[in-house]
Amino acid sequence: MEKRQGKSCVELRNVVKRFPGVTALDHVDLEIEQGKIFTLLGPSGCGKTTALRIVAGLETLDEGDILIDGEVMNDIPPHRRNCSTVFQSLALFPHMTVEGNIAYGLERRKTPNHEIRKGVGEMLTLVGLEGMEKRRPSQLSGGQRQRVAVARSLVLKPRVLLLDEPLAALDRKLRKEMQVELKRIQGEVGITFLYVTHDQKEALAISDTIAVMRMGKLEQAGAPDEIYNTPRTKFIADFMGATNILSGKVTATGDGKLQLKTDSGLKVIALHNEGTASNEITGISVHPELIELLPSDTGLQGDNRFKGKIKEMIYQGDFIETKISLSQTGELLTAHFPSRLELVTRLSPGEEVLAHWSPKSSNTLLDQ
Amino acid sequence: MRSNRILMVAAIVVYVLLWSPVVVLVVLSFSNNRLGVKWEGFTLRWYIEAFSSSAVISALRTSLIIAVVTVVVSTVIGTLAAYGLYKYKLRGKEFLRTSILLPMVLPYVVMAGSLLIFFVKVTHIPLGYFTIILGHVVFCFPAVVFVVLARMARIDWTLEEASADLGADTATTWRKVMLPLLAPGILAAAALIFPWSFNDFNFSYFTGGVGTQTLPVYVFGLLRYGDTAIINAVASLFAVLPIIILLLMGFLSRQKTVVY
Repeated sequence: MEKRQGKSCVELRNVVKRFPGVTALDHVDLEIEQGKIFTLLGPSGCGKTTALRIVAGLETLDEGDILIDGEVMNDIPPHRRNCSTVFQSLALFPHMTVEGNIAYGLERRKTPNHEIRKGVGEMLTLVGLEGMEKRRPSQLSGGQRQRVAVARSLVLKPRVLLLDEPLAALDRKLRKEMQVELKRIQGEVGITFLYVTHDQKEALAISDTIAVMRMGKLEQAGAPDEIYNTPRTKFIADFMGATNILSGKVTATGDGKLQLKTDSGLKVIALHNEGTASNEITGISVHPELIELLPSDTGLQGDNRFKGKIKEMIYQGDFIETKISLSQTGELLTAHFPSRLELVTRLSPGEEVLAHWSPKSSNTLLDQ
Repeated sequence: MRSNRILMVAAIVVYVLLWSPVVVLVVLSFSNNRLGVKWEGFTLRWYIEAFSSSAVISALRTSLIIAVVTVVVSTVIGTLAAYGLYKYKLRGKEFLRTSILLPMVLPYVVMAGSLLIFFVKVTHIPLGYFTIILGHVVFCFPAVVFVVLARMARIDWTLEEASADLGADTATTWRKVMLPLLAPGILAAAALIFPWSFNDFNFSYFTGGVGTQTLPVYVFGLLRYGDTAIINAVASLFAVLPIIILLLMGFLSRQKTVVY
């Protein structure tokens, strides 16, 4: 078979999957680069797990093609795809030891005993579980179980490792630790990871590429900072925490900038990317941490400066979530204000402030 | 405190009622009294007589063979049926599941009688081991289905997918993953139905025909001749054997420290 030119490891081409009453995947195209961590991100029911199960071969597709290393895999059963899955429940065999769990896949391949032992040993070192080989899953902590599940799959040297919300059962601290661990392990083995999560922070921390899904469609794919800073649609902006979303129409362009009049009547300024037609822009989004609060007697000259009144302040530890209702339109803006800033201590609900953000903080939205 | 004492008394009463017939039976089986109804000094005579009687030995062997085969066949069929009822989406599954109980709720005399007619008049199967075992399986395997179903409800079924994902075929997945996980349920079901089959009178009596006599049927025959002392000895075995098996099971399950 002819080797493909590109470096894509997994490819979905125009994939459609229907379940009774719902289209789980609606003409999805995506390409996963060899040796990277690719994350499918979206709320529950967006089709991300279905996409993963189609790659694994646990679901069949209704239309389109699934390719692994350039080969069409539509009718190839799971055990002949050389993918391996880390399940959400981990699915460690409770009646086997750590060693038995990791060796299971190799035994099925009739690998000679000394090679099994060698492979298991290597994996235990890789995931940092030396000396635990005789334990049973019930005798391990959540993080250790996680490592066994990853080792059990990686020992088979799959072409792609599929991870279905593998950290969902862990507490926040352990989850962050395991994110770092998974990234390290992936870097060491160089195997492509297809990662599924609904947690945008986890996706940002772990991925090389994030694909955001919604209602069976792929909304946007890109590097984590791209998805975070320049979400293309209201849905993604909201999902990535850019909660200040102002819908409106472009009224003027020029000088590399554009002016957008929001539905409520605010005039906001954003940078104008030459590539986008201004009539396609449907609004802007601003991340709360990019909104500055200035004393109310600061001048109104300049872009994106609006008078407002603090409605509520919610203490969040490292920052203070501040809701400001704009005097001009009554619109609510959310600003995340670092707790360390002196000014915060002098602010209180009811106070007049000036909300400001720079034009380059305005991200233009292109909803259809 | 008062209610505690009442509970205690109630518990004692229950256990006395539970155990006293067995104790009386076992004690009288050692009594040197031909009718075995009162204590006239210790003897092992009835046991020796029972076990030197080729009829008793033969009946015991017949009962054991039938019970073992019944247990094996019932657990296999019952486990497969439970798997089907648990995993597959089929119309009327609830009805199928409930209707499996039918042989257990019908009076055994009725069931056994109709089976006899079925064997003799409809299918012309000669009466003997085969027909007795068939009858036993009919009323034993529903219990297996329900015990195993209960176990299945507690299993993480992703394990089956995980096994396939790691390259195991269906047979290997069963052998290496599903059976070990279902084993506690299957063993419990086996322990439950073994005495059912071993102690059964109705099916063995009706469908046994001439020459295939199980122990309960043989004991029934003895009763008609008033040989109650030997009956006591044989009956003590009936009482003591399952107790030994139960104790053994309890011991074995304590040995297993793994909690799934």
